[in-house]
Amino acid sequence: MTSASTTRRALAIAAGAAAAALALAGCTTGGSTGGGDWDGTILVGTTDKVTTLDPAGSYDNGSLTVQTQVFPYLVNTDYNSTEVVPDLAETAEFTSPTEYTVTLPAGLKWANGHDLTSSDVKFSFDRNIAIADPNGASSLLYNLDSVETPDDTTVVFHLKTENDQIFPLILTSFPGAIVDEEVFSADAVTPDEDIVAANAFGGPYMITSYDFNNTIQYEPNPNYAGLLPAAENKTVIQTVFADSSNLKLAVQEGDIDVAYRSLSPTDLDDLAGNSDVQVIDGPGGEIRYMVFNFDTMPFGAKTAEADPAKAQAVRQAMAALLDRQAIADQVYKGTYTPLFSVVPDGFFGATQPFLDKYGDGSGGPDADQAAKILADAGIQTPVSLSIQYNSDDHYGPSSGDEYAMVKDQLEADGLFTVDLQSTEWVQYSKDRTTDVYPIYQLGWFPDYSDADNYLSPFFQEDNFLGNHFSDAEVQDLIRQQAVETDESARQAEIEQIQDRMSDLISTLPLLQGAQVAVAGADVNGVVLDASFKFRYAPVVKG
Amino acid sequence: MTAATVPAAPAAPSAPRRRPRPAGGSLGRYILVRFLLIFPTVFILVTLVFLFMRTTGDPITAALGGRLPADQLAERIHEAGYDRPLIVQYVEYLGHVFTGDFGRTLTDNQLVTDVLFRYGGATLELALYALLVAFAVGIPLGMLAAYFRDRWPDAVFRVFAILCYATPVFFAGLVLKLVFAVWLGVLPSSGRAGPRNEIALGRLENPTGVYLIDAIRLGDPAILGDVLQHAVLPAIALGLLTAGIFLRLVRTNVIGTFAMPYVDAARSRGVSEYRLVRRHAWKPALIPIITVIGLQVALLLGGAVLTETTFEWKGLGFELAQYLQARDFVAVQGIVALLAVIVAVVNFLVDIAAALIDPRVRY
Amino acid sequence: MGVRARLGRLPVIRQVRQSVGLQRGMLVAGLVITGVFAILAIFAPLLAPYGFNQLKGDDGVSFGAQDPPSLAHPFGTTVGGYDVLSRVIWGSQTAFFVIAVAIVLSIFAGVLLGLVSGYLGGWLDRVLVVIADAVYAFPTLLLAIVAAIVISHGQSNLVGGVFAAAISITVVFIPQYFRVIRAEAVRVKAEAFVESAKVIGASTWRVMFRHVLRNSTRTLPLILTLNASEAILTLAALGFLGFGIEPTSAAEWGYDLNRSISDVTSGIWWTSIFPGAAIVLIVLGLTLIGESLNDLADPRLRTRRRSSDAAGDDGAADDDIEVVPGGAIDADAPADRERA
Repeated sequence: MTSASTTRRALAIAAGAAAAALALAGCTTGGSTGGGDWDGTILVGTTDKVTTLDPAGSYDNGSLTVQTQVFPYLVNTDYNSTEVVPDLAETAEFTSPTEYTVTLPAGLKWANGHDLTSSDVKFSFDRNIAIADPNGASSLLYNLDSVETPDDTTVVFHLKTENDQIFPLILTSFPGAIVDEEVFSADAVTPDEDIVAANAFGGPYMITSYDFNNTIQYEPNPNYAGLLPAAENKTVIQTVFADSSNLKLAVQEGDIDVAYRSLSPTDLDDLAGNSDVQVIDGPGGEIRYMVFNFDTMPFGAKTAEADPAKAQAVRQAMAALLDRQAIADQVYKGTYTPLFSVVPDGFFGATQPFLDKYGDGSGGPDADQAAKILADAGIQTPVSLSIQYNSDDHYGPSSGDEYAMVKDQLEADGLFTVDLQSTEWVQYSKDRTTDVYPIYQLGWFPDYSDADNYLSPFFQEDNFLGNHFSDAEVQDLIRQQAVETDESARQAEIEQIQDRMSDLISTLPLLQGAQVAVAGADVNGVVLDASFKFRYAPVVKG
Repeated sequence: MTAATVPAAPAAPSAPRRRPRPAGGSLGRYILVRFLLIFPTVFILVTLVFLFMRTTGDPITAALGGRLPADQLAERIHEAGYDRPLIVQYVEYLGHVFTGDFGRTLTDNQLVTDVLFRYGGATLELALYALLVAFAVGIPLGMLAAYFRDRWPDAVFRVFAILCYATPVFFAGLVLKLVFAVWLGVLPSSGRAGPRNEIALGRLENPTGVYLIDAIRLGDPAILGDVLQHAVLPAIALGLLTAGIFLRLVRTNVIGTFAMPYVDAARSRGVSEYRLVRRHAWKPALIPIITVIGLQVALLLGGAVLTETTFEWKGLGFELAQYLQARDFVAVQGIVALLAVIVAVVNFLVDIAAALIDPRVRY
Repeated sequence: MGVRARLGRLPVIRQVRQSVGLQRGMLVAGLVITGVFAILAIFAPLLAPYGFNQLKGDDGVSFGAQDPPSLAHPFGTTVGGYDVLSRVIWGSQTAFFVIAVAIVLSIFAGVLLGLVSGYLGGWLDRVLVVIADAVYAFPTLLLAIVAAIVISHGQSNLVGGVFAAAISITVVFIPQYFRVIRAEAVRVKAEAFVESAKVIGASTWRVMFRHVLRNSTRTLPLILTLNASEAILTLAALGFLGFGIEPTSAAEWGYDLNRSISDVTSGIWWTSIFPGAAIVLIVLGLTLIGESLNDLADPRLRTRRRSSDAAGDDGAADDDIEVVPGGAIDADAPADRERA
C-alpha cells in the first residue's frame, strides 16, 4: 500500500511542478532574471569548444579565443591592423638573420602577483616543444632552435633559417602565449582547474569562474600592461553552445549580447532582418576548396591511362564550369564569397587568377571553354568524377548542399558525371591521405594572418594535403618569399605562385568565409579584423 | 537513440527476473547469484566499448586530421601510444580501471571522474523530470483507457501512446521548439538556465549539479523559475516517450485486474465501475510499473543522448555525444562504464524488489 | 475457394478476419497507413513531382532554397534547394529498403541464435544470455554510430547507410529477439512431439529446424513489425546525427530533419514538419499492425488473470505481451536456466 500513496504523492508533485513551470513560463521569458549587479557585463556565446586552457595542449579556435583574452603575447597586431608590433614586449626585432630579440619592460606582474620575466618566456616555449602534446601546436615552432635569456628583460630566439618573415607572425598565434612558470608544469599539460585556481593569467583578462565547456567568467586583469587598451567592460561571461540554432535563438532573445562563431547561413539571413540585433562582418581567413589527388584522379599518375596533361585538362575544365556565386548565394546566403585564388582576398599579395582564366570572365561558368579544354587534350566526354565531402559538419552543416550544387554544375552540360559521396570526419581524415579519394573537400582556417599560411602548408614538400602534387618552381618561390625582406619583391613572388597554381590546380578554390558576429543592437566595440581573434576588451553595452 | 522509443522495453529485462524462489532459503542464494551477475555484465560492456571505440579512430586524427601532414599525424599518434597492439592497450586500461583510475580525457584534459560527477547530476535531473511527466500523463490516461476499454476513448489513448514512441525525440524537440520557443516565444529553447544564472549556480559551494536543488539553495525565486522554465521542453520531449509505455502498462494491468476474483466480488457487491478503477484495479497495476521504471533507466539514459543534444542539456548524454565525435575513448569508456554500472545495479535492485514482494503473499 | 482458404491462412489476413470491433479498426488502420507508404515507395518515380536530388526544373531554373509551399512545390523547398514533397515520397522507398534488410538480418541473427541457445542449452546458452544482457545495457546511440562507421567506413551511399542502420538495430535488438525465440525454443523442446522426433532418430539440426523452429515462430510477425519500425527510427536518428545517407544518393527523412534544425529557429516549418510527420506516420502504421496482431495472437492476454499463477508479479510480463509476446514467455525462461 505504500506504493499506492507514494504514487499519489508523485502525481501531485508532478502536477504541481508542471503547473508551476507553466505559470512561470507565462509571466517571464527566457533568461531574464533579477539581480542588479550585472551592469557592465557582456555575455558572449560561441559554438567553439575549448580543448584546454593550457596553450601547450590546444590547436583549435575555441581554445585560442580564450587564450587570447587571458594570456600575454610578446608581439601582436593592433585592432584593424595587420602589422606585427610589440605587445607585452618593449621592442621586438631581428638583431641578426637568425636572432630575433625581444625586450620586456621591467616590473611586469602576472595577475596573481608573480613576476613576469624573460624566464617565463623561455619556459613557455621550451615546455611547449618538450611536451609536444598531440593536441598542441608545437609543430608551428618548426624554425625555433633555442631561446636564450641574457637578463630578466631580454629574450633572444635563435632560429634555424635566416630572415624568417613568418616567425613573428607565429608569435602572435597558438604557440605564442606566455605562461607563468611558477604555476605551469614543465613537462605536462597543466589542468584547467590548476590554472584558474592559481590565477595564472597575464592577458587583458583573468578568469574568475570556470565551468568547463559551459561558462567562463572574465574580469579585467589589473596587472595587464600590453598593447591593447584596458578592458572597457566590467565582466565578460562566455557560454559555449553545442548547436548553432540554439546560439541563434539566444542572441535573438537577448539571452546573450554577442554570438561569435558559428551561425548557420539560415540563422544569419533571418537575423539580418531583425532590428533587435546587428550583424557585424569582418575579413575572413576561412577558405573552402577541393583537393585533387594527383595519383588517383582521372588520368592521374597511378591510373591505367595516366597522362598528366589530360589530368590537368580535367582540373581546368572543372574550374571553367563552376558558378561560385550561385553557391555562395543559394547555400551560404552571402556569408561566403567566391574565392578565385589559393590566397584569399584581403591578404598581402592576393590576386584572382581563376577569375581571369576560367569561366565567362566575371565568375560565371563557361561550358564552351570547358568543352574546348577537354577536346584539345583529346579527352572523351563525359568524364567520370568521384567527389567526396565530409558529412558530419566538420566544415559546417551546409557541405552537403554545397557539393550537391557543385555536382549539379559539373553535370549541367554533359561534360562530367559525378559520383558524390560523403564520409564522417575521422574516417575521412584517414582516407584522404591514403589515396582513397580522387577529389575531395577540405577547408582551412589560418594559423596566422599571412599569405604564407595558404602556401607553405599546401604546396611545399611534405604538405598536409599529401596529394602527390610537386612542383619545383612553386616550391622554390615559396621558400624564397618566406625569407624575402623586401616587401615588393615578396609581393611579386606571392603573385607568381598564385598564378602558377591556377594553371596547375592542385587545389580548386571555391569560397572564402567572412567572420561574422551578431550582437544586440545596443552593443558597441565588436572588432573583427584580420587578426582573426575576437578580443573582448573593447565590447560595451548601451 | 531510438532505444527510448522502444515500446518493447519491458520485454527485455535482465536475466533472472520474476522468478523469486518461493522458499526463504533460496532467496538469499538468488540475491547472491543475481548480484554476482552484475560483474560479467559490466565487464563485457566495458570490453565492447573499448573494442568498438578503438576501431573507429583516434582523437588526434579527429582533432587535427585537416591540418597536419600524414607523417606528423602518425608521429603524434605513435607518441600517444594509440598504435600499440590493442591487447596491450586493453590490459593497461583494465589495470587502471581496477585501481579506480579512470584517467583524464584525451581531448580536454579533464578528470573522467569529474566529468561523471559534473554531468551526472544534470542527467539525473532530466531523467526525474521525464519520469514525472511520464507518470502524470501515463497513469491517468492508462486508467481511463482501461475504464473505457474497447470503446472510442480507449482507441484515442492507445493511438496517443503509440504516437508517443513513434515520434523520434529529436523531431518532438524540433516541434516543441518551433511552437513554444519560436512561434509563441514563451519558453527558452535550450540550456539548463540563462547564462547569468549558470554563473550564479556555478559559484555555489559544493554544487549538487541538480539545478533544481542548487537553485533552491540559492534562494532566488527568479533563478528557480528560470531553471524550471528551461526544464519544461526537454522534460516533455523525453517524458512523453516513457508516458506511452506507462499508459499501455497501466491499461493492460488494470484490465487484467478487472478479471481478478476479488474485483468480481467487489463488483457483485455493487461497487461502481469508476470506484472499481479508482480503488481496486489500479493498485496491482503499479507493481509492474516499478519493474518498468528500473528498465526505463537504461532507456532514459539512452534517450537522454538525443534529448540532451537537441536541447543543449549539458548532461552525460550530451557529453557522450561530444566525446564520441572527438573519439575521446577514455572519456567515452568512462561514461559508458558508469552508465553500465547504473543500469546493472538498478536492474539488480528491481529484481530483488520483485523477489521480495512475493505476490503470493499479497493475494 | 481454394485460393481464398489459402489466403485466409496467411498471417495478417487471417487475423483481420479473426478480429472484431476496435481491434479490427486499429489493425485495418495500420494496414492502410503502411499500405499507403508502400504504394508511395513502389510508385515514387510516378508520384513524386521531381527527383529526390533534383535542384532545377526542366526549364533549367533552380528551385530556390527554403521557398514556402506553393503550387509548384506543395510542401516547399529545403535549405539545399530540393523539393520537400518529392523527398518525402522518395524517402518512403529508402524506408522500405531499410525495413527489408533489417527484417532479413534479424531473422537470421536473432532467431538463429535464440533457437540454438534455447534448444541446445548448456554453457553456450549461459554465455549467450549474459552477453545478450550486456548488449541490452549498451547505449544504442553509441552502437549505431559505431556500426555506421565500422560497417560503411563512414561512407554515406544508399547501401552503406541502409546496412549501417539495419545492422546496428539488429545488434541492439538481438537480445530481445534472442530472448523471445530462446524462451519459445525452451518451451517447445519439452513438448511430446519433439521427444518423439528424437526417439525416431532425427538429427539435432533436423529437430531444431523442422520441429522446434516451426513451433517457435508464432510471435514472428510481431517481431517483424517491431523491428521494422525500429529500423526506420534508427535510420532517421543516424541521419539526424550526420551518419546517414548522402542526399544525392537517396532521400532520407532523418537527414532532411537534420538540415532543418536551423530552419526551425527561423520559423521555417515546412522543411521539418513533413519529413518528421512521415516518420511518425509510418512507425504508427507499423506499430498499429504489430499491436493488433499481438492482442489477437495471444488469448492469454485476456484470460490469463483467471489462472491465478503469480498474478501481480507476472503482471509485468503481461504488459510485455502487449508488444513483444516473448516478454510473457520470458517469465518462464529464467526458471529453466536456473534448473540448467
